[in-house]
Amino acid sequence: MDLAEAFRNYRETIVGKWVDYTLSTYTSSDFFKREKDQFANPIGASVREALDSLFVMMSKGTDPVEFKGPVEKIIKIRAVQEFTPAQAVAPLNAVKHITREVLAADKERAVFVKDLYDFEFNVDLAVLAAFDIYMESRERLYKVRIAEIKSGSHILTDSKCPSKLLNEESQEFLKSV
Amino acid sequence: MSVPKLEQLSKSVAQGPSLATGAVPTQDWMDIPAVFKSGNYAYPAKKDKVEYLNSQKGLYFPNAREWSPEDDDWKLPEDWKNIILNGLKERLDKFRSLKIFMDCCVRCGACADKCHFFLGTGDPKNMPVLRAELLRSVYRNDFTLGGKILGKMAGGREMTVGVLKEWFMYSYQCTECRRCSVFCPYGIDTAEITMMLRELLHLVGVGINWILEPASNSNRTGNHMGLQPHTFKDNVEFLVDDVENLTGVRPNISFNRKGAEILFITPSADVFAEPGLYTAMGYMILFEAIGLDYTWSTYASEGGNFGLFTNNETMKKLNAKMYAEAERLGVKYIIGGECGHMWRVLHQYMDTMNGPADFLEVPVSPITGTKFQNAASTKMVHITEFTADLIKHGKLKLDKSRNSHVKATFHDSCNTSRAMGLLDEPRYVLDHVVDNWVEMPENTIREQTFCCGSGTGLNTDEIMELRMRSGYPRANAVQYVRDKFDVNTLACVCAIDRATLTSLNNYWTPEVTVCGLTELVGNAIVQENEGENRAVLDEGLRTMV
Repeated sequence: MDLAEAFRNYRETIVGKWVDYTLSTYTSSDFFKREKDQFANPIGASVREALDSLFVMMSKGTDPVEFKGPVEKIIKIRAVQEFTPAQAVAPLNAVKHITREVLAADKERAVFVKDLYDFEFNVDLAVLAAFDIYMESRERLYKVRIAEIKSGSHILTDSKCPSKLLNEESQEFLKSV
Repeated sequence: MSVPKLEQLSKSVAQGPSLATGAVPTQDWMDIPAVFKSGNYAYPAKKDKVEYLNSQKGLYFPNAREWSPEDDDWKLPEDWKNIILNGLKERLDKFRSLKIFMDCCVRCGACADKCHFFLGTGDPKNMPVLRAELLRSVYRNDFTLGGKILGKMAGGREMTVGVLKEWFMYSYQCTECRRCSVFCPYGIDTAEITMMLRELLHLVGVGINWILEPASNSNRTGNHMGLQPHTFKDNVEFLVDDVENLTGVRPNISFNRKGAEILFITPSADVFAEPGLYTAMGYMILFEAIGLDYTWSTYASEGGNFGLFTNNETMKKLNAKMYAEAERLGVKYIIGGECGHMWRVLHQYMDTMNGPADFLEVPVSPITGTKFQNAASTKMVHITEFTADLIKHGKLKLDKSRNSHVKATFHDSCNTSRAMGLLDEPRYVLDHVVDNWVEMPENTIREQTFCCGSGTGLNTDEIMELRMRSGYPRANAVQYVRDKFDVNTLACVCAIDRATLTSLNNYWTPEVTVCGLTELVGNAIVQENEGENRAVLDEGLRTMV
């Protein structure tokens, strides 16, 4: 028996608690936790799917570059909800404590708690990735906002509308004086 | 990083609301106040717009002033509470539906998890049942015997400034999409409760600019942007030039032409903003291909009706303009373009507000002879119904390969699907103009379609975050078909959708573009006289030539 097997055995328990903890950050979370249909409950299902695959990656030691996919799935959502940046990424960290707690509760596997350094380092990397993705998402949001303001305006500003021509004439005039 | 203890993680380093959980409520919902901060509210209406609207015959928009939702003092009129309660009484007497909706909810919760605002925020006050309860609690307190005697025990509560602020917060976190009403066993239309909340708020001067400015522009020049007739005409003529450059065929158009058989009305966004422009080009190509005798109007230059998002009187007035113009020009009937709430107003309210339009004729397609009995009273046919009928009778020559760059899916707009039952026609059209299209999952389309998250005048940029989270249920389904079927185009039949889904996709699924259905029709149409002048259009009407 080794740590990898412990991760495999407790995957469902740990991920379940992690999902529960993450979804508890929403004011009314019962439905998010209960409903499994990914279209009826997009946030609950996305969080569940992403945390599960992230847990598998972190426990197997997958290349941390791969963490981006599942972390993005969660953080892109939380970046447009009413969380502070810290609140948005904090639940990712919770898996460290949950894993220790779960393993410690099993007498045969409590011994593996001391071997969690690599796993916990991966969690740290996932949290760091989350900061990047949070900022990327916010920047994207601002770009979307700018693009929307700009869309359509060119017809009004660059068309043959008389007021626009008038404006151009006055600009020319201003340049000439 | 150290190993966190869950309890520690749940506390903020700054000792604010808990770090991981935000503020988990330990209080009753009635005791949690609405907190306004940048990004969660739309800007209040400008003083001059409110003054203008209030000066118009038949409209009432009092208490014009400068104010901010973030201020404690909203500068309400002194007797605001009486105004609200009297306003509610008047509406309970006037609208039987409101009285029934107030009384008959049994709080079964069927609607609770159906709202895209709830699904995107997890805020219980965005459950339709609780949003309605914001009004119902006041109704109970002041208008029912139980509430008058038992007060809070009977679910009643007094009307306070805090309650009013909550109304403002949540009646503008509802797009009146009516998805919840599909699931209500009593048929309660929560959208109408939101409409009443907004009406009541306008009585004390609480409204948002993104709605009142387009409404006042529409009243003044005929369209949301406030385009004057010559500008509107110029813009449409630009599109004629564009169509000629692309396809080699110059569409014939006319404006305000008396004696035309048909008046064509579409949202003004179709003639001034991408991606609506391409849809407008599609209309012209379609009408040219069948030689339709129609006219544009520079007065009825807007299909949209932001009156629907303010109050009955404004909705009625803006709707009446279309019919006044149809009467003035002496047309037989109206064809309406791809719009959402224009059709909702038409199918649900027009007949009792301004109808029936007896001076017009029951629409008959001049090409196929089909009589549109569904429009026997309103005398207005949806462009997609009209097109589907043309295709059914083999009157259009279509080349699907001209849309080979498109792998489409179809978004049912809330208003056209749930308020007028336009479900199969757009799909029939899609079948004939593209090789390849797929449906999104069953519980996100047709009657169960998810809103774009920005309807009812919430398509303003200052609440972009709110729009992105409320649009997530829709975006989530788009993501699914993108990943599974390589979908690259989201087609729809609503101008607000075209604009807002573009932003939504830009955030969630940038690979998926948004287009109007008639744009795809325009791409596919083979004109008789197009000859060699037609450019190679790899991206349809969007090709740069």
